[in-house]
This record gives sequence, structure tokens and C-alpha cells, in this order.
Amino acid sequence: VNGNQERGWNDPPQFSYGLQTAAQGAPKRTPLNKRVPPPQLTGSPCPVPGDFPSLTAPMTPPTNPLAPPCSMNTPPRPCPVAAPPLAGVMMMATPPPPFPVVEHTDSASSQSENEPDVDDVVTLLNWALTACRHTVKKQVCNDVAKRLKLFEDMWKSGKLSLPVRRRMNGLVQELKSCNWDAADEIHRALIVDHVNEVGQWMVGVKRLIAETRNLNPDLLHTQEVDQSLDTSSTGNSD
Amino acid sequence: MATFPEFIAQNEERDGVRFSWNVWPSSRLEATRMVVPVASLITPLKERPDLPPIQYEPVLCSRVTCRAVLNPLCQVDYRAKLWACNFCYQRNQFPPTYAGISDVNQPAELLPQFSTIEYVVQRGPLMPLVFLYVVDTCMEDEDLQALKESLQMSLSLLPPTALVGLITFGRMIQVHELGCEGISKSYVFRGTKDLNAKQLQEMLGLTKPTAAQAGRGPQAPQAPLSNRFLQPVQKIDMNLTDLLGELQRDPWPVTQGKRPLRSLGSAMSIAVGLLECTFPNTGARIMTFIGGPATQGPGMVVGDELKAPIRSWHDIEKDNAKFMKKGTKHYEALASRASTNGHIIDIYACALDQTGLLEMKCCSNHTGGYMVMADSFTTSLFKQTFQRVFTKDVSGAFKMAFAGTLEIKTSREIKISGAIGPCVSLNAKGPCVSENVRQFHGNGGTSQWKICGLDHNTTLAVYFEVVNQHNAPIPQGGRGAVQYVTQYQHSSGQKRIRVTTTARNWADAGTQIQTIAASFDQEASAILMARLAVYRAETEEGPDVLRWLDRQLIRLCQKFGDYHKDDPNSFRFSETFSLYPQFMFHLRRSPFLQVFNNSPDESSYYRHQFMRQDLTQSLIMIQPILYAYSFNGPPEPVLLDSSSILPDRILLMDTFFQILIYHGETVSQWRKAGYQELPEYENFRHLLQAPVDDAQEILHSRFPMPRYIDTEHGGSQARFLLSKVNPSQTHNNMYAWGQESGAPILTDDVSLQVFMDHLKKLAVSSAA
Repeated sequence: VNGNQERGWNDPPQFSYGLQTAAQGAPKRTPLNKRVPPPQLTGSPCPVPGDFPSLTAPMTPPTNPLAPPCSMNTPPRPCPVAAPPLAGVMMMATPPPPFPVVEHTDSASSQSENEPDVDDVVTLLNWALTACRHTVKKQVCNDVAKRLKLFEDMWKSGKLSLPVRRRMNGLVQELKSCNWDAADEIHRALIVDHVNEVGQWMVGVKRLIAETRNLNPDLLHTQEVDQSLDTSSTGNSD
Repeated sequence: MATFPEFIAQNEERDGVRFSWNVWPSSRLEATRMVVPVASLITPLKERPDLPPIQYEPVLCSRVTCRAVLNPLCQVDYRAKLWACNFCYQRNQFPPTYAGISDVNQPAELLPQFSTIEYVVQRGPLMPLVFLYVVDTCMEDEDLQALKESLQMSLSLLPPTALVGLITFGRMIQVHELGCEGISKSYVFRGTKDLNAKQLQEMLGLTKPTAAQAGRGPQAPQAPLSNRFLQPVQKIDMNLTDLLGELQRDPWPVTQGKRPLRSLGSAMSIAVGLLECTFPNTGARIMTFIGGPATQGPGMVVGDELKAPIRSWHDIEKDNAKFMKKGTKHYEALASRASTNGHIIDIYACALDQTGLLEMKCCSNHTGGYMVMADSFTTSLFKQTFQRVFTKDVSGAFKMAFAGTLEIKTSREIKISGAIGPCVSLNAKGPCVSENVRQFHGNGGTSQWKICGLDHNTTLAVYFEVVNQHNAPIPQGGRGAVQYVTQYQHSSGQKRIRVTTTARNWADAGTQIQTIAASFDQEASAILMARLAVYRAETEEGPDVLRWLDRQLIRLCQKFGDYHKDDPNSFRFSETFSLYPQFMFHLRRSPFLQVFNNSPDESSYYRHQFMRQDLTQSLIMIQPILYAYSFNGPPEPVLLDSSSILPDRILLMDTFFQILIYHGETVSQWRKAGYQELPEYENFRHLLQAPVDDAQEILHSRFPMPRYIDTEHGGSQARFLLSKVNPSQTHNNMYAWGQESGAPILTDDVSLQVFMDHLKKLAVSSAA
């Protein structure tokens, strides 16, 4: 996503949480840290412009520039078939997406296949909340419930974008499988990348994950809890 | 046998240390003749994912005036279970737990590969981290909304056990109670008066734990309880999210021609006081978010009339900056109180005009806090920079560290003059401390410093003095040693101690000058000298600093260049020195020493970054990196010179503060014509993409986030490139040089060629 060009000059592009986290551990492909000493000191001849190989294209008027070396035609000068991107294999955990950074896919055709069901997601969240009500303070549970309701309302009134809906679906799947850290990480990624959509209610989900993970595992499978799960349609699995 | 460059690189990688000289002149007199002092850059918490923390406490020398840590340079008698301190030669008994050691069973701290080692101190409770948000509400709604969202987001990034608090301010200051009861309460203060810690304590109803309470019972005192103003994130995150969501713009109306009344100085004072009373001596960050300058109360930097602008460099020079001295004093006092308690002050200043960073810089610089300068809270530069404060390393721990102290021990022949970096002196006198410290003001005359906030990049410059007398024999063992001991609070709450012990050979400068010369680290020396110059520039006149810098450079050339007297053309510098004059040339015209064209706030910001970054980043700031992309081969570094600007290539320039991609005239025309869209010109599309990919790698992780500029020949933003390159071709000499390409720069600045010519002339002159 491009930076905010209206309010800041030369604002840098915005990267997703996932990309920035991946960048932490990844070694740099080709660190740009080399310098060239000035020739006067080492005794080598001063670089003259003629030394720099330049293309044969003369200075043509801007309205009709000669074309760049074509990959398929025989070029006038030795020219690599594929342009020189950096040497070496990409070593990053995930290859950098083409710029500007876009969220993974959103083509119309995949929409209907990947559209998560709001009721499934809400049911799973409520399953966790029900389990929490045994031991967690009533006020806290009510606060969480309030926010889950807000989340549901926003979804149903079309205020949440597809990436948010999909990732929330992923989050509740992790919750169901008791993968607390994974669920937590998804909540973090969502609030970093989409704070304007999720900012008001995501803290409730955050709290829910935190409280649920501390529960006695037996509590997660009491009768009433399982009942609430059974009433859901078979959830989307990936 | 490794070459010096290999030796330097290995040492940096393992120990985070780079010395100006890697073989040391053995007498004081000779050392002063080296021009560049023996000095080191040290990155105390350099990222070492391979270093396993040692789960026992370090063994110390028993001599009270020494207390050096056991290290690989110590001689050990395994039979008698004794070790000899390499600094003071004291013989020490190993503690009983070391009974089992032998020369085939050595403890880690004696192994050479553990010249840098980290200990985890087990005793004492794990202290929670404290984050106190101080939020300006005098800003446009859009900005305030963006700031609120960033703060709400940060609650998900803080450790759950961390304590968090909120102070908001505009004309008045509100200290918010973070209860769970559903009613929000706050204590309101006028912004016009300053409060000392005691008054604040009373007004907020805080009682310090008394000595009687703390001392009860043999067990360690409990971790400080949270109070109404600072509560664990996991407990109040929902309430605080709501509270932040409800924040309104400061209600006091701002009339035409006036600035909002912003009591920033008092707000910061209250924040410092609150932490002083409740969490002295534990890691804490005061994060101030400001949308404009302080306009009333203590610490004000400008009046509320818009027609009176905030001070410029011109005003300061003419002694026409009426709030500056008093304002600076206010913030210096706050910085002092905060650093005494180990508390960090961060400043996030987002406004189009100046906010008073000049007056407030000591808050960040003395405490190791961050200073971020952006145009608005709605920019991605602010949002992502702020996110990156909470970055975790590969082990899942936050990169930020707290409550650091650095202590340095040296062999007898070398003493510590001073340090330059985000630290304050602890005034620790001792045998390692030199008396020749005047130039370091507050940060000299000590062997210990406090670094309240530090991370993996924080780098200090430490300057030494060789004290051996001339013609005294080379010291026994032939090597001088330095030990850096950094104690700090890890972000997990654990107390840790990192110890780096390193040594270099002595040499007699009379007979072995070539060896000493070959050991010169021109990159480290450039930064070490640059920090000295910038340090001086804070208190001395600009031209005097430049003259000093030039004089040192000329002396260095005279001492280490190859030349025939009075023959400038004969002058040669070996590879070991060949980049150094270019660094000095660019340093002289850098914003660190040239305040022309920058506001006082901008200069303060740039200097703040320069005085703490590691060597690689600092070099980029002085002499930006320039890479060229073309069809003629893989991307290559090119001279930072106007002759590198050619029509058929793309340039990537990294100045640390900006990443700039410049498309040459021809490339730009091709791009406009859309050739990259055509399948048969896929290679052109790749060419356009290559610098973008490289730029992205830098943009992904640099802190603070740089600006990003995509420009082309004739573009207005190309000026950022044109102002940095050496103007070898200007409107003055375009025809004299006979060059037909390269972009002429419209400037009267001296070019590198002219600079080098003058330098060579002065160096070889027998009149010097």
C-alpha cells in the first residue's frame, strides 16, 4: 500500500505485519554497503564518461525515444536475456510480493469459494466465551461479549473487508484447535494491518484468547459448551 | 593468518567492537601523533542469536579497585584453582562451584570464542516493564484519530504483564485512572505551573512504600504493585482501548492568528514525577506523542502568536531566541531526573512545523529514548516506525532493553577519556579514568555510564588515552586489553550482564609504524572522528569545528601518505586510508555539520540519529550509498558523484533517512512510454523492478522508517540526489572539464576534486 502522499511528503509504502515480521529473521540478499574510492588517491585514471558503456541510443526528442533493448530481438549490444535482477536466490522466508504490496488475492472468482460464514465464526467465539464464564469475572466476559457483538454487527452490515473476514475465520479455527499462539499472532496481524476496521472490537478477541488459554482444558468441553458447538453447521476447514 | 580487514570483520561480528587502530602505539607521545586517537565503537547488545545465555553469575576479580570479570585473557592455574586477573595481575581463588574445572574441562568464560558472553542474573524478582503514554490532544481530528488507532494497536503489541498508563494534555493535563469500574476518572492539572515530585505525589494520593514495609522479612521485596495510574495491559486493555477511543481534541478554542495552548513541558514533568514516585529504578518508557510545540508553561519554546515564528538557526546565531535557554534547562532537568531512575523518554513529534526538538533533545539523548520526526500521525512513516518499536528478535523477545549501565576496564597503559552516545556519566572515578577529559564535558572522567534505553543497534563511541611514557618498554605480554561490562534489564524482565573482553598488540611507533598504519580502520575512524566533530558542533562555532576537522585530516595525510615534499601530484594514500578523505569531505557538507538549509529541530533530529547508530548505518548517513542499475551488468556501487548520473541507468541512493530511486533521462522516457508493459521488453520491466526490490529490503526493517522517493531526471524530488552527490560538474566548470555527460549541479560548493587538490597541496607542503 502506498504511503500517505497527502499528509506526508515522500511517505514510504506501508507493509503488512507478516512481511515485517518475516524480514526480522531473514538474511539480507545483497547488502548494499560498498563504496568506490575516488581515483585521485589510488593513482588509477580518473573515470571519463566515455569509459561508461552507454547504449547506442542518441539523445532523441522526448516524444519519440528509441526503445530499450528488446529481450527477444538481437540487441545491438550484448544484453542478458533476462534483465539483471540481483544475483542469487531469494533467501527471504517469503518472496517479496510485487510492489505495491497487496493482500493475498481477491479475485472475484475466488470470492464465493473462500467467503467465510459469519455464523460459524461467531459460534466458535461464543464457544470460547461460554467456557470462560465459569471462572472469569462477569464484567470481563460481558465486555468481551459486547465487542463480539460489535464485530458480528460490523460483519453483517458489510463493514469488514474480505481479508479481515477471512483472517478472523482463520483465527477461530486456531482457537478451536487450541493453537493459542497462532490465534494471538493472527489477532496482532489484523490489528496492525487493519486497525481502522478492527480497532474497536479486536481487543475483545485478544482478551478472549488470553482468558481461554488459561482455562482448565476440561472446561472447554463441558456439556453446554459442546452444545453450542453442535448447533453450528460444519465449519469451513482449510 | 588473517588480513587486517578479516580480523576487523571477525572481531566486529563476535564482539560488536571496532577500534580506530588495531595495533596500538606504545607511548602517549606517539599516540597523539597518530592524529586519530585510539578509540572504539561498541555495540553492547549486538545481536548474537548464537550466544547462549549463561545461567550463573560472573566471577569477579577480588581487588576492590578492579572487579574485572574472569575472561579468556586470564592466566589460570587449574591445579591450584587460581586465576590471575589480566588487568591488575591479582591472583584470585576460584569459587567452590568451580572445583571441577581443568584444562580439558574449561568453563565457557575462559574459552576464546566467548570473548563476548552473556550471564543471566537469577536473584531478584522479574520486574514488569512500564509504559507511560503522554498524548497531545491539540491536533486535527484526522491526526488524533490516527494516533488513537496506533495507540490502541500498540496494546496488542505490548507484553501482557507490562504496566501501562495514560496522560493526556492540551491546555490542561489529565492523569487518567485506569480502573475497571466503568467510570473514567482523571486528575486535572493546570499547565502553567511546574510541580515537583513531592507535590505531585500528594496531589495524586500516592504513597511511596516506606522503608519499614520494604525491609520486612528475609525474603526479597515483592515486585512493586501496580497503582491506579499504571496497570497491567492484560487487565485493562479493554478499558484503555475504550478510553483511547473516546479521547477528544483539546476543547479550548484556538482563535485566529494563534497557536493552541499546549502545556507539553508540564505534561512531561508530571510523567517523570509519576514514575519517579511509583517505579524508581526499574525499566520504564515515557512515550510522548506531540503534534506541535509547547506554547505555555515551563518548557515552552514559542509563544502563542502565530506571527512570532519559532526560532531558526539565524535567530539563535543573533541571540534572538527568547525561550530557548529556559526551555532547554527545563527539559535537561527532566532528562536528569529520568535517567537517574533508569527511565527512558521517547519523543514522537509529528507536525509540519517545528515542535521544539532542539530544546527537548536531551530527553532522548541522555536517556537513550527514541526521537521520531514525521509530518503527521496519519503517515505510514510514523505508523510503521512506531510499530517497529515493538519488534521482536528471533527468540521472540523484544529488541528493546532497559536500565543499562556500561562499565569499562582497561590495562594499566591505557585509560578512558570519555564516551559519546545516548548515555550519561555515572561519575565513577578509578584507575582506568584519564584526567585528560575536558573535551568530553559531562561524559568524561568516568568509567561507567548509564544507558537507560538501548537495543541491538545502540552504539557508543569510547575514547582512550595511552599513558605509557615515551621510551618505556612495551608492556609485559605485548598486548593492551579493554573489557566492556554491560548490565541491563532484558525485555523479559530478567537482569543480564554482557561482558566483552578484547585485546590488541602494542607496537613501537618508532620502528613499526607500517604495522600500525596497516591496522588502521578507516571506517571506524571516520565515525569516531565524526562523533567528536558533531559533539563539538553542539557547543562551538560551526567554522571552528570545520577548521579542526580539516586540520586533523591534513595531519593524517602528512603522517601516513606517500609523497615527495612540495609535489602534490606525487601524493598517494594506501588502500587502508583511501576512503577516509572522501568520508571527511562528505561529513563537512553533511547536515550534521552544516545547519544551513535545516531547521534547528531537523539538525537536532539528524544528530540524534547519528550519535547512536552502528557503524554501517552511520557511514550511510555521512556518505550515502549509491548503486547503479543498467543493462550493462549486475547492480554496482558507483561514485557518489554527478558523473554517475547518466541517462541510461537507474540509481538507488540510501542516505539512511531517505531511500531514493532515480531514473535517468532515457530510462524515464522508456518508462513513460510504457515499454515495461510489453512482453518482449520483460527485461526492462525487471530492470525497473530491481532497485525497487532492493529498496524494499531496507524499508522492511530499518528503524526509523526512511522516506521513500521515486523520481527521475528533471523531477523536483531529484534535488535530494543532486544535493548529495559530489558536484564534480557545476555550472561553473561545465565546459572546463570537457565532460559531455553527467548532470551538472547548480552549486557553488567545492567539489571533491578541488577539495582533494587542496588537501594534497597542504599535506605535501614543507611549510606546514
